[in-house]
Amino acid sequence: MGCGAAMNALREKVMRGVFMTAALVSILAVALICVFLFANGLPVLGKIGIFNFLLGQEWSPADDPQVFGILPMILGSLYVTAGAIVVGVPIGILTAVFLARVCPAKMYAMIKPGIDLLAGIPSVVYGFFGMAVIVPLAGNSILAASLLLGVMILPTIITLAESSLRAVPQSYYEGALALGAGHYRSVFRILLPAAKSGILAAVILGIGRAIGETMAVIMVAGNQARIPGSPFQGVRTLTANIVIEMGYAAEMHREALIATGVVLFVFILLINLSFSALKRRMD
Amino acid sequence: MARSLAGFIRGLTLGVLTGGVLAVTVGLTGCIAAGPFEAQKPVSVVSREDGSGTRSTFVDLFDIVEKTPEGGKKDRTTKEAVIANQTGIMMTHIDGNTHSIGYISLGSLNDTVKALEIDGIMPSPAAVKEGNYPVSRSFYVATKGDPTGLTKDFIDFILSAEGQDVVGKGYIALDDSAPAYTGDRPGGRIVIAGSSSVTPVMEKLKEAYQALNTSAVIEIQMTDSSSGMTSAIEGTCDIGMSSRALKESELEDLKPAKIALDGIAIIVNKKNPITSLTQAQVKSIFTGETKRWDAVLL
Repeated sequence: MGCGAAMNALREKVMRGVFMTAALVSILAVALICVFLFANGLPVLGKIGIFNFLLGQEWSPADDPQVFGILPMILGSLYVTAGAIVVGVPIGILTAVFLARVCPAKMYAMIKPGIDLLAGIPSVVYGFFGMAVIVPLAGNSILAASLLLGVMILPTIITLAESSLRAVPQSYYEGALALGAGHYRSVFRILLPAAKSGILAAVILGIGRAIGETMAVIMVAGNQARIPGSPFQGVRTLTANIVIEMGYAAEMHREALIATGVVLFVFILLINLSFSALKRRMD
Repeated sequence: MARSLAGFIRGLTLGVLTGGVLAVTVGLTGCIAAGPFEAQKPVSVVSREDGSGTRSTFVDLFDIVEKTPEGGKKDRTTKEAVIANQTGIMMTHIDGNTHSIGYISLGSLNDTVKALEIDGIMPSPAAVKEGNYPVSRSFYVATKGDPTGLTKDFIDFILSAEGQDVVGKGYIALDDSAPAYTGDRPGGRIVIAGSSSVTPVMEKLKEAYQALNTSAVIEIQMTDSSSGMTSAIEGTCDIGMSSRALKESELEDLKPAKIALDGIAIIVNKKNPITSLTQAQVKSIFTGETKRWDAVLL
């Protein structure tokens, strides 16, 4: 008896260690990435000058002297992400409402696997689709990248928004009906506001996905390193800038690309922080 | 029942409406880019990325790189140029946009796009070898110090009659009267890394060599010229491949050998009626001075 209890206690201890190690792996990975990025990226910021780097409008690493200004890429990432939000968020939220509150079971069984499939398509395949179908219509432009990214972030938004809609107690809906509201009025005036924080989380994760997407964007956006004048012009994002030139880059150029990664990292950090701040305020 | 059906229909209408708006937007903008060739339309310039061997050769040969008064250099390729970071993506861009122009290695040219005459000379292996076609470059392999063993034997093979015969099938052989291969076929394993322009011909050279030397294991990694040279210097590969001349900093550690010639073809969409450009016109298009096709069409 006593022996069994001791064994159990030991087993508990060992398993606790296993779980803790597992949890530490991801923290360690984040910490290592932070250290790598800042150790390699910050010194070059000092050399170029942080304002020259962030606000410079010209990027010409092959010239002598080299010019590293990433404002076009910062704006590029912002424009393309904003475009993806305009395309993806309304469709995503309406789809989530449809799936959670309108869709008959038979149709749900068809639509849901389709959305899951959309999430599983590799981004290079999206890129090929974009090159073959969207680019001949919309050109290599912000518009093309926005349309493509808008579709790519749909599964993230739909899945999260749907589950947060489903988490709203059924009594809210019934209460609204009892007060005389119709089906759609109840859904849009009661259920959607009640699921607000979950839907916001969905949108923010969608933004994160859009800003970090690389391969598909490179294939449709045109990748010009200059500030675009209209949505029909091409654009280069921060991620595209890193991937396109990393293979060739040496010395200062390479460090400037790592510093581009730092900027991207700070962007993601800001998104996550504003997200948790918003969430805390709502709770 | 009636409610859920009505809901279903309403939901469906909503979906169709959103989709419709999207389709109309795409359709409207589509009229701008796609369609038949029109000479008054703007030229859509497609370039390779900064650092690509093909780009640096192209901008050098067409004088698009200019010396600045301060003794530096400036790549004048228009900032409006679409950047394709691979040969395949370049070809898809040209094939998909009626008004585009780009450039690729002669060895990668196929019939999805149309190559232009430059100063009246059609790019071809014969024209490059005779020195008539003005836009050509050399391919190199490089080793850290003098090559030995399998590395040396493989490079000897590339430069032999058999190797140059393989080179001549995709690119342009250096020398038609190279001596036959007489190596001692040592065993072992080597890694070759570098330029994506050189990789296709290196794959064929590897096959031909392994038919002669069955005990050799050769691994080829496609990266790019600069990475290939860096790997060779760092010792992570035995032979580096480059589609451009080696930089001075690279020559401190590496010994290069020229293995093949290649031309750079200027390519346009097949719907484009243009057949010939002068070097000055190509420069003017790629620096953004010439903006419309009717300026260069006769």
